[in-house]
Amino acid sequence: MLTCDEYITPVSLAEAFAAMARHQGRYRIVAGCTDTLPWAREGRAGDVAVPVLIDVARIPELNECQVGDGRVRLGAATPVQRFLDNPALGRAMPALPRCAVWFADDQIRAQATIGGNVVNASPAADVTPCLVAHDAIVELASRQGDKVHKRSVKLADFIVGPGQTKLRDGELVTGFDCDALPGFGGSFEKVGHRRSLVISVVCLAVAVRLDRDGSTVEDARLAIAGVCPVPRRLREIEERLRGQRLTGALLEQVADLPLDLVQSRSRQDYRRDVVRGFLVRGLIAAAKRAGASPEALPPALEAAYV
Amino acid sequence: MSEFRLEAVVNGRKIRRTAKPSQRLLDFLRDDLNLTGNKEGCGAGECGTCSVFVDGVLMKSCLLPVAKAQGARIDSIESLAPTGELTVLQKAFHKAGASQCGYCIPGMVMAATAALRANPFADREEIKERLGGNICRCTGYQKIFDAVELARDVQNGRLPATALLETDTTDGEVIGRNVRRIDAPGKVSGRLKYAGDMTMPGMLHVQVLRSPHPHARIVSIDTSAAEAMEGVEAVITSKDVPGQDGFGVFVHDQPVMARDKVRYVGEAVAAVAAEDLATARRALGAIKVVYAPLPAVFDPVEAMRVGAPVVHDYAPDNITKHIPIRVGDVDAGFAASDLVVEEHYSTQAIEHAYLEPEAGLAYVDHDDVVTVVSPSQNITHHRHMLARIVARPVSKVRFIMSPVGGGFGGKEDMIYQGMLALLAMKTMRPVRLVFTREESIVATAKRHPSRTTLRMGVMADGRIRAVSLRMICDGGAYGLSTEGVMRKAAILGAGPYVIPNLRVDTYGIYTNNTPSGAFRSFGALQTQFATESHLDIVAERLGLDPFEIRRINAMRDGASTHTRQTLGSVSLLRALDAAEQASGWEPGAPNVRGLARGDLGHDDVRPPVSLGTRFAPDSKQEAAE
Repeated sequence: MLTCDEYITPVSLAEAFAAMARHQGRYRIVAGCTDTLPWAREGRAGDVAVPVLIDVARIPELNECQVGDGRVRLGAATPVQRFLDNPALGRAMPALPRCAVWFADDQIRAQATIGGNVVNASPAADVTPCLVAHDAIVELASRQGDKVHKRSVKLADFIVGPGQTKLRDGELVTGFDCDALPGFGGSFEKVGHRRSLVISVVCLAVAVRLDRDGSTVEDARLAIAGVCPVPRRLREIEERLRGQRLTGALLEQVADLPLDLVQSRSRQDYRRDVVRGFLVRGLIAAAKRAGASPEALPPALEAAYV
Repeated sequence: MSEFRLEAVVNGRKIRRTAKPSQRLLDFLRDDLNLTGNKEGCGAGECGTCSVFVDGVLMKSCLLPVAKAQGARIDSIESLAPTGELTVLQKAFHKAGASQCGYCIPGMVMAATAALRANPFADREEIKERLGGNICRCTGYQKIFDAVELARDVQNGRLPATALLETDTTDGEVIGRNVRRIDAPGKVSGRLKYAGDMTMPGMLHVQVLRSPHPHARIVSIDTSAAEAMEGVEAVITSKDVPGQDGFGVFVHDQPVMARDKVRYVGEAVAAVAAEDLATARRALGAIKVVYAPLPAVFDPVEAMRVGAPVVHDYAPDNITKHIPIRVGDVDAGFAASDLVVEEHYSTQAIEHAYLEPEAGLAYVDHDDVVTVVSPSQNITHHRHMLARIVARPVSKVRFIMSPVGGGFGGKEDMIYQGMLALLAMKTMRPVRLVFTREESIVATAKRHPSRTTLRMGVMADGRIRAVSLRMICDGGAYGLSTEGVMRKAAILGAGPYVIPNLRVDTYGIYTNNTPSGAFRSFGALQTQFATESHLDIVAERLGLDPFEIRRINAMRDGASTHTRQTLGSVSLLRALDAAEQASGWEPGAPNVRGLARGDLGHDDVRPPVSLGTRFAPDSKQEAAE
């Protein structure tokens, strides 16, 4: 059971920083709360008493999403559901709607925030690998005197281990600055014990752009989670794909690169099998959505992996 | 604690109420507004029976701090049928038989409502996806999906509204007809009150202190600090039991709370009744228990060895129950067999995971009758046991069975009703205990984990000559239903087959694990898993079709069972025919298929699991039809 003496819902960054200063050392930042409440139960943290909870989900700046020229700016309190509701976001970040349908369930997805997913720094986070594939930069803000101090850290550097980030005391994650990837086809592969409300045993985000006739890979972005302490970008695979003619053999080749991706404590062999299948399947799905020509991806290949 | 003023619109009505910062929206709706239609099943966002609309978006109210509802429009299950007239969806749940225990149903109805709002033309796969956040343990989901499809088609005009009505039974015939459940309207509307929904004026809240040790002597329990806390009305331990302290379905080996020693992690040691839940939980932390850990045993085979830690003094060999069955001469039967196959089988503990965690309310009425309201599956037996425990005549003890939000055998044991009765007697106030999901998993009975050695002798034509079956079950720390489970496992374990020579031994063994108890099929599952698996293996060795070997050995009308019960009619052959047909079975021995088996790939075979049907380009185009 989570108990608090005060629950503060600031409606501006200034109010949030004022509350943080007023309750220094006695507060915890929350947003969607979808992990905070289950965390304060038997088997995890048990009963937890936090003097002050500061809920940043209603701060406008943390809720804004802008799709600009080449960039996407996502407020930290963006609920995961928004990737399904907002077509412009889905076009600029093509793996994210696919990720969103696998994220928890229809209800929690409406409440859980991307900032929470990142700050939790779970090795099995679903949204984080997608953002990593977009070279996301974490926007951080803190108050120093009367001024708001901002800094940026690459998401790939921000998460340093399971549950560990470079977030400093007194600092808030306000948003993410991401590459827009319009014209890419996206896919998200995930497996767990069941379909909904499940922690990823393996998850993979893929975005692929092909040339005009759908036969050559112009660009590819891949990131994986659930198999290593922090979500991992698969640059080795991206390099091997870039500029190559799209064929089933190419996809199987990159899936067989000796990258030693699986660092998990358990079910390593299973995860290795899954990773290989996901790489081929995820690339096929993303390439198809990017307009792959039927000659490049014959039905037999699809039947074997999809 | 700074309370605050909450303004919101709840089920269409404006409210301004004081709320506490630690409350979840679920607590506020249920405790403060008495809107108990939406339930709590897990408290962790897993089960969805708490789902409510927040500004039109379905959310899990157990994951929402109430402050998040500030200024919002909240609609609970009660909002759907405010005057008692059910919605199309609720009627469809009624018609399709989608509600059984009913505890998940408020959330299911809300999720289905949200699904059809999101896509009025959702197909079955999309409905499944959109209901993915809701768990049901009774129905297997199919009838729920049937109901949502029925509602969709009625809403879209594809089916007439009369499709929601009861099938005509004016001729008086009901057997073989789809008759609507008479208890469904109360469940689909959330109006049915389970024990955890009930309150009484002046009611106290109960919490239980549980053992962190699998086996330990209790050196001392000091409750004085907890009793001195403001808001704490009473603390009880085994010292407060006035009568004979013991309960169980067969052997009364379990005290209401641990007496002298604890035997498993999660065993009740003390209980607190306080003015509110948070105070009761804090008081648990103020109870000081000194334990002296004892050697513990966690494996039933080890527990049977000489010198193993003894769990109960009355059973120095740790055997709760041994059931033997002897028919004919098994050794001679094996000697006369063409083929003898021996294999080992094991099954694991399983939690019932009924959606309704244990809950109960107790009070002493104006005639001094100690009254316990709980979803007990065995109230008459509980009443007699409790009378002895509280040392009152049976006429002064009453059990009232509240609606059971799923039981599956898991609510046959009187594991908390004794504490409620004692606290009601000590405080002379109504007391209520609602288990958390975690508490329900830690403290209550599981399906018996089993290990079976099965030896079967058969003739070349498939006839069984002899069977020897020996099963050892982990009964855990207390007897509960173990004796009956072992008996049924033995009686039914060798299956409905003619076996001239049979030796069965089932053992329920005490260990320091969570107690095992009743669970659907009551022991038959464990032994029959072994027997049926074994028959497939034997069929393979003989080159026989698995259906055929069963037909060869099947008991027929007038057969005598292994325990000499004469059977009038035996439907096994008909059941085998039906199963063979329904499964699209390809005749042959089990090992003739492999990757090339021809019975897969049909229309009625499910494709691999995936998500994302809502992305299908035609998922909403049916509207244009």
